[in-house]
Amino acid sequence: MIDLSTQIASLRLQNPVLTASGTFGYAEEFADFYDLNRLGGVVTKTVTIEPRPGNAPPRICETPAGMLNSIGLPNVGVEQFIAEKWPFLSRLVNAVIINVAGKTPDDFVRAVERLDALDGIAAFELNYSCPNVKEGGLSFSSNPRVAEQVTAMVRKVTRRPLITKLTPNVTSISEIGRACEAAGADAVSAINTLVGMAIDIHSRKPRLASITGGLSGPAIRPVALAKVFELARVLRIPVIGIGGIQSAADALEFILAGAAALQIGTANFMNPGAALEVVEGLEHYCAGQKIARLMDLRGAVKLK
Amino acid sequence: MAADTFRLSFAAPAWAQTARAGQFVNIQMPQHGDLLWRRPFSVHDADSAHGTLDILFAAVGRGSRALSRCKPGDALDVLGLLGNSFTEPAEEEEVILVAGGLGVAPFMLLLRQLRHWPGKKTVFLGFRSSRQVCCAETLVQRGARIVLSSDDGSAGVRGLVTTALEDYLISRDARQKVLLYVCGPTPMLRSVRAVALQYHIPAQVTVENRMACGFGACVGCPVELAQPRPDGQKYLLACKDGPVFPLEEIVFND
Repeated sequence: MIDLSTQIASLRLQNPVLTASGTFGYAEEFADFYDLNRLGGVVTKTVTIEPRPGNAPPRICETPAGMLNSIGLPNVGVEQFIAEKWPFLSRLVNAVIINVAGKTPDDFVRAVERLDALDGIAAFELNYSCPNVKEGGLSFSSNPRVAEQVTAMVRKVTRRPLITKLTPNVTSISEIGRACEAAGADAVSAINTLVGMAIDIHSRKPRLASITGGLSGPAIRPVALAKVFELARVLRIPVIGIGGIQSAADALEFILAGAAALQIGTANFMNPGAALEVVEGLEHYCAGQKIARLMDLRGAVKLK
Repeated sequence: MAADTFRLSFAAPAWAQTARAGQFVNIQMPQHGDLLWRRPFSVHDADSAHGTLDILFAAVGRGSRALSRCKPGDALDVLGLLGNSFTEPAEEEEVILVAGGLGVAPFMLLLRQLRHWPGKKTVFLGFRSSRQVCCAETLVQRGARIVLSSDDGSAGVRGLVTTALEDYLISRDARQKVLLYVCGPTPMLRSVRAVALQYHIPAQVTVENRMACGFGACVGCPVELAQPRPDGQKYLLACKDGPVFPLEEIVFND
């Protein structure tokens, strides 16, 4: 029996494969494709205290081996989330991680406080780093003192594991990671999207209504891997790797670089079965390589 | 078919039974290389006897050119069936289908569905020029009267499909109940919407948006509501709430 399990603070995952926030809806969208309980867990689309309509179109555009998005965190708000989305999520037996964002530190606190009353939430992921929300957004993730302050405030209102999602659009991602760790975060996830832009040379307009957006997909994988490697070296808390993972081979790169878990993001769009394929691929790899415990490979990159 | 226009048939016996006009499939391009997304295509026709589904497309980009080079027997990765479908006429006496260019695609299946429907069927087909004209003969075989127009006058009447439509609406007996079906480029949708509102004609439109997934996960294909909902909702999703919408409920901005 191959052991794929991993540990994120007090949270034990049956395997390290999670879905990235904003690429998996509220999981129900994928229920027709496979048994969602085969994953390590799911991370929901961002929930905010108030409903948000999202940004004006065009919101997405395709780029070489990637895509730009500026969706703007549309969601029904915490109360409607609890009424409409949570019933399905609460029936999943694996880890359900709720991704939360806010315009102000107080928004984060209020949302987490309200959601914390629900039974069955495995962890919270704090989205400090959406590059597409004009108000606040980036400042939470680009200023270590602000990141530390918000993390500490949320820490006070929940005992559940707290994951802070980090942006790569900063000078030093490990400085932000350290601030979150110092404030009581149980793990970090990295990376969120890279700020990018594309212009239609015929209309001479930006391809996104918001001008710039967040780049994701295989195009960012090497950048993500370098950031995860950096964070895993400087932090004591676990690092969850995100960025262009499409296959078990991609996932193994992140584990070797030090990731304790992974999130599958953009790949879910083109291949709705992608996350399950990564789980099965990891199983297959371990069987073939006679590896009894997948996490023995964590951080096992040979540097010399 | 017409210049750069291709019809691709693929075996999909189950879908051929259930596909409804307006629904779409999302296809991974062959040899897609660094092209990340699938490409959405309206179901053009569904033949339940032969178990095939057809799509209609123009080979204009890298992905669609690769698709146009598919040979019989090649395998395709197709995600479907996606989206909602046109509501069929009930007590109406006439249906009018308005197509701009390849917007004609879903109407082949719609007319197949309506083959036993006794009412009058008129299709307004607009193309840039005679080189692009396609599907007209088959639509006639399926019981429709065709009004052809082209931008340069090389096929049918010269001018916009909307002009031809409006001329017809002015001349017809306004007491007869009619239902409009619309598909085409955004500027055309905008004009037809204005015409439909002016003549108080109920209309259904199928939209074509950029989308990364096709099943509601990427939230990248918003369609703007004409009136925001009381809870602040401003957008619907082309893939999940559509691609067919009541024309008066949505607006087309740049």
